[in-house]
Amino acid sequence: MRVTLKTRARAKPRIPIEAETIIPQNFLQKNDVRVYEGNKERKLEDIFFITIEGPAVSPDQVEIVLTGDTGVIKRVGEYMNAGRIIVEGDIGMHCGNFMSAGEIIIRGNADSWLGREMRGGLIRCEGNAAHYCGAGYRGEKRGMRGGTLEVLGNAGDFTAEYLCSGEVHIHGNCGDLPGVEMRGGVLTIGGDCTRPCGNMTGGTCRIFGAAHQFLPTFRRNGTEDVEYNGKRCRMAAFRGDVANRGKGTVLVRED
Amino acid sequence: MKIEDVVCTFCGCLCDDLVVEVENNRVCSVENGCTLANEKFMRDHRLKNPIRRDGNGWKAVSYDEAIRETAEILLDADRPLLYGWSGTHGEAQSVGVHLAELIGGVIDNTSTVCHGPSIMAIQEVGHPGCTLGQVKNRADVIVYWGANPIDAHPRHMSRYTTYADGFFIENAFRDRKVIVADVRQTESSAIADEFLKIDRGGDYAALSALRAIVRGKGDLIPSRVAGVTREQLFRVAEICMKAKFGAIFFGLGLTMSPGKYKNIRNAIELTQELNRHTKFTISPMRGHWNVYGSNEVFTWITGYPYAIDFARGIAFYNPGETTSVDILMRGECDACLVVASDPGAHFPRACAEHLARIPTVQIDPHVNATTHLATLQIPVAVTGIDAEGTAYRMDGVPIRARKLFTGSYPNDQEILEKIFARVKEAKRS
Amino acid sequence: MTDLLVKNAYVIDPLSGIRGEIMDIAIRDGKIVEDTGSGAPVIDAGGCLTFPGGIDSHSHVCGTKVNFGRYMSPEDMRAGRTARKGVMRVTSGYSVPTTFGNSYRYSTMGYTTVLEGAMAPLEARHTHEEFTATPHQDMLANTLFDGNWAIMEAVRDKDVKRAAAIVAWTLDAVKGFAIKLTNPGGTEAWGWGKDVHSVRDEVPYFGVTPAEIIETMIRANELLNLPHSVHIHCNNLGVPGNYQTTLDTIDLAPDLNRNRQSLYLTHVQFHSYGGSTWRDISSKSEDIARAVNSRPQVAIDMGQIMFGRTTTMTADGPMEWKLYMLHHNKWSNHDVELETGSGIIPVYYGRKSLVNCVMWAIGLELALLINDPWQCMLATDNPNGAPFVKYPEIIALLMSSRYRDIERSAIDPRTEHYVPLFAIDRELDWYDIAVMTRAAQAKALGIERIGKGHLAEGAEADIAIYPLKPDELDPAADYQQVMAGFAKTRYTIKRGRVVARNGEVVVEGANSTIWSRADVPPEYDLNRDAEFVKKFEQYYTVRMRNYPVQDIYLPRGYFISTEASL
Repeated sequence: MRVTLKTRARAKPRIPIEAETIIPQNFLQKNDVRVYEGNKERKLEDIFFITIEGPAVSPDQVEIVLTGDTGVIKRVGEYMNAGRIIVEGDIGMHCGNFMSAGEIIIRGNADSWLGREMRGGLIRCEGNAAHYCGAGYRGEKRGMRGGTLEVLGNAGDFTAEYLCSGEVHIHGNCGDLPGVEMRGGVLTIGGDCTRPCGNMTGGTCRIFGAAHQFLPTFRRNGTEDVEYNGKRCRMAAFRGDVANRGKGTVLVRED
Repeated sequence: MKIEDVVCTFCGCLCDDLVVEVENNRVCSVENGCTLANEKFMRDHRLKNPIRRDGNGWKAVSYDEAIRETAEILLDADRPLLYGWSGTHGEAQSVGVHLAELIGGVIDNTSTVCHGPSIMAIQEVGHPGCTLGQVKNRADVIVYWGANPIDAHPRHMSRYTTYADGFFIENAFRDRKVIVADVRQTESSAIADEFLKIDRGGDYAALSALRAIVRGKGDLIPSRVAGVTREQLFRVAEICMKAKFGAIFFGLGLTMSPGKYKNIRNAIELTQELNRHTKFTISPMRGHWNVYGSNEVFTWITGYPYAIDFARGIAFYNPGETTSVDILMRGECDACLVVASDPGAHFPRACAEHLARIPTVQIDPHVNATTHLATLQIPVAVTGIDAEGTAYRMDGVPIRARKLFTGSYPNDQEILEKIFARVKEAKRS
Repeated sequence: MTDLLVKNAYVIDPLSGIRGEIMDIAIRDGKIVEDTGSGAPVIDAGGCLTFPGGIDSHSHVCGTKVNFGRYMSPEDMRAGRTARKGVMRVTSGYSVPTTFGNSYRYSTMGYTTVLEGAMAPLEARHTHEEFTATPHQDMLANTLFDGNWAIMEAVRDKDVKRAAAIVAWTLDAVKGFAIKLTNPGGTEAWGWGKDVHSVRDEVPYFGVTPAEIIETMIRANELLNLPHSVHIHCNNLGVPGNYQTTLDTIDLAPDLNRNRQSLYLTHVQFHSYGGSTWRDISSKSEDIARAVNSRPQVAIDMGQIMFGRTTTMTADGPMEWKLYMLHHNKWSNHDVELETGSGIIPVYYGRKSLVNCVMWAIGLELALLINDPWQCMLATDNPNGAPFVKYPEIIALLMSSRYRDIERSAIDPRTEHYVPLFAIDRELDWYDIAVMTRAAQAKALGIERIGKGHLAEGAEADIAIYPLKPDELDPAADYQQVMAGFAKTRYTIKRGRVVARNGEVVVEGANSTIWSRADVPPEYDLNRDAEFVKKFEQYYTVRMRNYPVQDIYLPRGYFISTEASL
């Protein structure tokens, strides 16, 4: 089944749509799917032109395609556990929160909290991701716990904050403090960043560009060779953050 | 008439020992207050009546009319924002929260532009703090980090720290060591025993280095961290570890510099580390006299200290998303009620521009920068002068602000209750 | 005049000696009466179990540290959120719900009176503000005196009467209900990052011992003729081997009051540990129960823990620090000048943790080994042992050894080597539960005299009707039904008004705050005591005049007045 949701013009286009209901399992039956526009609950057809093609008997056979002015639509794919979502343009905050399986492809940019507290599955953003990509929730000790999150462009600050397990791969640059409070999993940054991995207690962060303002509380621990994009790279290895328990590994490209 | 033990409703110190003389419904003298207090009590020029924007000018309207119009604006909105609250008493804040819930709006207080990052840090690692009297009576080491109390909280040092004699500290000035950390010299740094002059944006690294030293991992600290020498970092760590009771106070210099809440988190974790060696506490230097009260009131009603979004009928909190500055920057909200604060003066320009584009109602005694963005302003009594109510000091101690005389203005609570009643009535029908 | 008639109720009202009779209850203007007028609205209880409204004699629901527990825990807030519904407002929170959340959840469980376990006098105004926002329960506040400088000076001077005068002044100033000692002496030592480790340890500088503080305060309490006894959280909470401290504390209690205990020991589960480290911690519930069984002058509450996530919060600052060193999760601390301390950390009690399993067993053992249910009240030290919404599960565990056996197979198998629980086959009955959840509390708090905890004529019409038919149920076998039944009343009636029905709150609440006022002779009035006033102004950071809680904070305040024997 292919569900296409094309946005309608709205009187107040800046008001975000809260759309945690847009997940494959909700389109199996002809459910009354509703979303919020600000404080007003709306029917899905008030916000989108909806086309449904083909049948599906299980959520993994459902593919949702979002097109149009989708940059302020929040929570798409939250708690998704099967199927596929394709966003033709940009997507709003919290896309793929808590998702446990399935696939989300974003052709444009993603707003903050992409894949927050993700448990499994795959998110691939072909543009840039804003802040807190692959991060946790306020006050919660564990952030992303599984799955793969890939951003082909750049990501903002606090990428993979509280990363616990799973993989975050930013092909471009990251902002400030990627991997901060990290405790497990693997964070890969293809480009540059500042102050990586402050206060990390576990996990591995690999940086193939420059790590600016590198914190003084990481202990040099030899060198390692790592393969990245088919090339062998010589990496300076560090253990830290010794301001904390210091059981994490940071690898920064040397050559 | 002279009134003693008056509570000063200016800054988070909430001094309650002022002596104020009142004649003919006017304050005519203030004793014991700092310059900021004198300014607050003595230069009190109020807006006379509610005003509505009328072309390029203003038109006087009645309170009833202003209340009716405010209720209509809020009812019409799909994403209303209720912002401010730090300059009014808790009872009014409470009505504000119920109003926000009723209309499915966002309610936020001035923490969003001051100690919001401190709250976010506390939510990650907790807050080892104490009341200010604990510091006054016991502390032999005081640290001010990114704070300049002489300027922003003029009586903080004399009432609670540097100059305040206490039970176990009989000669405060002699028996207390003062450490100041800042990116520039200030009046406060001038009287410090140790001044850590930190490169701009270097607080996080300096705090990490101190934590490593306290953990016994100082060997890897390079000769300079963020402009501070290794020797000085070791010296400061030593002073802290040898203290009998240490107290860190931090200000906007730490919350608003790069890394924001992660700086505060680092400072809190340093404090926690120091507690393995001695007693140490840490406290934010809250700005507005009742900003902490707004955090408290919001929390017991909604569960969160600021930035609460009721749009989906439940309380949702996520700074960066539900905070006023972010909502205004993205141009999300379509109506705004400003109570007891001045976003026109403190918010980025793009936010102010959005406020000017949408219907903005301000409830405030005085004409201020926000007036120029507002469509409607309703003047009210000033808590601590002609209105009374609960305030929470920066350390959480609740104190009742006094009413010094009965004036002609309604207070915030009364106005808000009337708006609430109208909205509720409209929702019912 | 508003009348209400509850017909056909299966009533257990221990204070009135009713052990299960089908009867009608007549209500007029919020009180139980002999008969209603004709035409009164009728509720048919249909033979369902009917108790006086529930009373929690030790819970943390309002005030500075509770609110800080919310403030620092957005992850807990999102774990228990509900939307606005009817008269019910939005609520948040699982282990530390918002005030309305607490109030609704208690109300749907049939609770109509709750005592806040710890109020720091300096921050009392805050507690009272939250009481007003907890509208479906009448509220009382234990007032902290454990590290009170003036009290410790009086103890040092062996001046019981002065201690009594300080208590009287403070309770009046802060509208407190009773004396609470949390780790007496320990919270002052914590001002220097230290603690006391037995009842004979000296408090730094003040040179007094916890034992001296406890003995003085018990006598001062009785001099003031306060409704409740001294309410103590013993030293060494949570420390392996601490049962000895608890026995030492029990030994300090004289028998001074004919109507109730002279010392109330709270959350005793946390104080009944043998062993010397976390590795060899064991249950000493039998020793504690033996001591309680032989001393009518003490009463306790269980302090049961239940498995899952919760938040610990107490005035016992040094204990929370120790807990933080174990868990390395977030830690908050808040010392209160001249008075007390407090701390908060989140915890997770796991079935896979042997220590947690031992703790879980100890609480149940206390309730099963203490012969007289009037001496052992059901509580979790909410939310420290578990959020109070777990009470129905605890009731089911106490009523069904079969349920205990099922739990046994789910917990760490080593547990049985450290605890006697699985050798105890006692099963409590409906009457025992009625005692342990309301009647014993009313008696222990001394509020049966104002019509709480019973349904005799003239009593407050606070009534809980549970969807449970004692004649048709075997609680030992039907423990699931017992659990479900105690979780949601069919009706909760507060002061003659139906406030909750089938799990939903149906009206806006209007509660009272109950406090104690002991009248002392003028020579014991501290407002006139120059030395007291001078020290107050010198060392507090709030002026003495701005310290007392104004009447406006108690819109429906009610005080129990006593005449001090000074």
